[in-house]
Amino acid sequence: MFELSTDVGNLKELREGGFSAYDALYLGDFSCPDYPNNFSSHPELLEAGLELVKARDQKAYLRLYAVPGNSDLGWVEDLVDAALELPFDAFEVHNLGLLRMLREKGCRLPIHLGVFGNLYTHETAKVLKEYGVTRVYPNPELSLDEVRYIADNAEIEVLVPVHGKIPLVISETCFILEHSEQGEEDGAQSGACGDGTCSYQCTQEHWLKRGRSDGSRADWSLKDTGRMTLSGKDLCMVEHAAMLAGMGLKHFYVHNKGEAHGYAAAVGGIYRDALTRAFCGKDAEDPTASLATLAGLAREGLCNGYYFEGAGQRYFGRV
Amino acid sequence: MVMMMAPGGTLEMAQAVLDEGADAVYVGVVGWSRRGAQDELNDDEIHRTIDYALARGKEVRIVVNTLPSSTELPMFVERVERYAGWGAQGFMISDIGAMRLVKERLPQVNIHSSVGCGITNYEDVCFLREIGATYVVLPYRMSVEEIRQIKQAGDVGIEVFLFKTPSGGKICPGKCNMSSYFSFRRWLDAQGKDHFFGSASRGGDCLRVCQTDWNFNVDEVDFRAPMTIKTNPALWLEELPDYLAAGVDCLKVPGRDRSTALVRDIVRVYRRAVDTILETDHPDLSVFASELETLRGRWMTERGKRDNRLLRQAIDESRRTVATPL
Repeated sequence: MFELSTDVGNLKELREGGFSAYDALYLGDFSCPDYPNNFSSHPELLEAGLELVKARDQKAYLRLYAVPGNSDLGWVEDLVDAALELPFDAFEVHNLGLLRMLREKGCRLPIHLGVFGNLYTHETAKVLKEYGVTRVYPNPELSLDEVRYIADNAEIEVLVPVHGKIPLVISETCFILEHSEQGEEDGAQSGACGDGTCSYQCTQEHWLKRGRSDGSRADWSLKDTGRMTLSGKDLCMVEHAAMLAGMGLKHFYVHNKGEAHGYAAAVGGIYRDALTRAFCGKDAEDPTASLATLAGLAREGLCNGYYFEGAGQRYFGRV
Repeated sequence: MVMMMAPGGTLEMAQAVLDEGADAVYVGVVGWSRRGAQDELNDDEIHRTIDYALARGKEVRIVVNTLPSSTELPMFVERVERYAGWGAQGFMISDIGAMRLVKERLPQVNIHSSVGCGITNYEDVCFLREIGATYVVLPYRMSVEEIRQIKQAGDVGIEVFLFKTPSGGKICPGKCNMSSYFSFRRWLDAQGKDHFFGSASRGGDCLRVCQTDWNFNVDEVDFRAPMTIKTNPALWLEELPDYLAAGVDCLKVPGRDRSTALVRDIVRVYRRAVDTILETDHPDLSVFASELETLRGRWMTERGKRDNRLLRQAIDESRRTVATPL
C-alpha cells in the first residue's frame, strides 16, 4: 500500500527506539562519520544492526557518507564492500562519485538518492537510473506538483518526507566544534573535527536564532547538528495525507536525525494511522489532536511551505 | 595554456574584461543563472557580447546553471541551441539531466559543470565527465593536492575560482537551501519561464541569510557572541603557480555582481600575474601584494553593501509572509 521509513544512526538508538510504525529504516548518519558508532562509518556494526531490523520484518537501507573528500573514498569503499556481503535492501547515496563507485563495483542492490543529491528534474532522474538508482529524494525546494512530475515522467520511486526537520545545508567540518571554546582555542586550521578527538557536543541541542531586538520570539531559527543544519521548524504533512495518497505517492519518510528519544515512535504512530486511513479511502480524522501532539514535539513550530510553492518555513493547512 | 575567464554581469563589464586581457567572458541569461536579473544579460546583450568577443578572437561561456524545473527543460535546450548558433563556445550547467541533453544535441560545445554541482572528490569528477562535462568547476575550498589528485583521475578540464574560503565549513554553493527556507516566491513570465525569489539554485539571488547576526545557543543558553554562519571567500594569488602546476586549465575571476570598475581592475592585475607565472620558472608575485590587498578591500566593501541589501529583502519578505499560526 505505502512505505513509511525513518532513520537510525547507531545500534544503541536502534535497540532503544520505538520503530514499530515503520516499514523500513535508513541506517546511519550520512552527515558525520564521527557520530558515535555510526552505521555509515562502522562496518563491524552492520551485521548486528541488520539482524535487529530483519527480526522486526523491516527493510534496511544503508546510508553512505554524503560529502566524502578524496581521502574518505577508501574507508567508504571498505564499508560498501562489507555491506555487499550482507542482505541490505538498498544503499542510499548523496554523492554522485559514490554512485559511480557502486556501479563500477557491479552493485546489484537498489540505490536511493539522498536529500543532498540535488535532484530537481525528471531528466536527472533518468540519468541516475542508468547508474542503478531506483528511488530519489527530490530537493526539498520542490513543490509537490514537481515531485509528482518527476515520479510520473522518470518512472522512478520518489521519497516524500512527511515530517521532521528538513536538512538545509551540509558541512565537511563540525560547526559546533569550530565555534565551541575548544575550537576557538585550537584555531580554525586545527579544529578537532575529524582528528579523532570529538567530544560529541552534538548530543546537546544547538540552535541558531535570529531574534528581534525587543526580545520576543526569534524571527528565524535553525537547528545545528554539527555537520548539518536543519530547519528550525518541523515539516508536517499530517493534514495532507489524503492528498498525498491521491497523488499516487507511496514512499514516505520521517526525519529523525537530532531528535530526542521517543520522537520517531510518536510521529510514526500518527502518520501510520493517517496514511492508512488515506490509502484505505476513509475520511480523515479531525487532525486537531494529532497536530497538537506534533506541535508539542516541535519546539519552533511546524512548516510545509516548500510543498506549496512558498518559503520552506511557512505552514499551509488543509483548506 | 591556461584560460582566464572573467565575468560579464553587464554588457559594459563583459566588454571591459575582454579589453583588459581575459581570454573568455562568462555571462548569465536572465532567469537561468544563479543571480538576480540585474546581474544577468538579455538575449540582445548576449548576442552583442558574443559578436564582440569573436571579433577579438576570444570566447564566451553562457551561464545557465540554475537547477530548472522539469517542465522548463525544452525551453532550456532551445536557448542553449540559440546561443551556440550565435557562436557561444560553452555552457555552465548544474543539472545532470540538462547536461546530458546538451551533450546529446550539441556534442561540439564545452560543458562546464557548475560549482553548484558540489564536487567533493575525484569520483564526482569522473561521474561528471561521463555525463558530458568538458570542464569541472571546483569548489572554493579545495587544496592544491586535492586538485592534483582530481586532475590525475580524470581527463577533464579543471576550473577554479580566484577566490576561496578556508577549508571546510558549509558547502555553498551546491548544498544549501537556507535562503529559500526563510524567503521564497515563484512566478511565471509570459513565456512560461519560472522565476524565483530567494533561491539561487533556482534562478534568483541567494539572500545571504548566513551573513546576519545569529545567536548560537545550546540548551537555551547563548553559546557565544552573535556570529555569521559562513565565512566569505577572499581573492587569492600566492598559490597560483602551484595551482597551475597541479593542472588547472581555467582560472575564473569572480564578480558578476560587483562593479565594472572593480572587476576590470581585478582582471588587469590577474592578467599580469598569470603572464608573469607563465613567463618565468620562479615568478615573484610579491610585486602584486599591495594591489591585491587594495582589491580585497574594495571587494569586501562592495560585498557588504550587496549582502545588506539582499538580507533586508529576505527579512522583509519573511515578515510579509509570516507563517499561518496553528
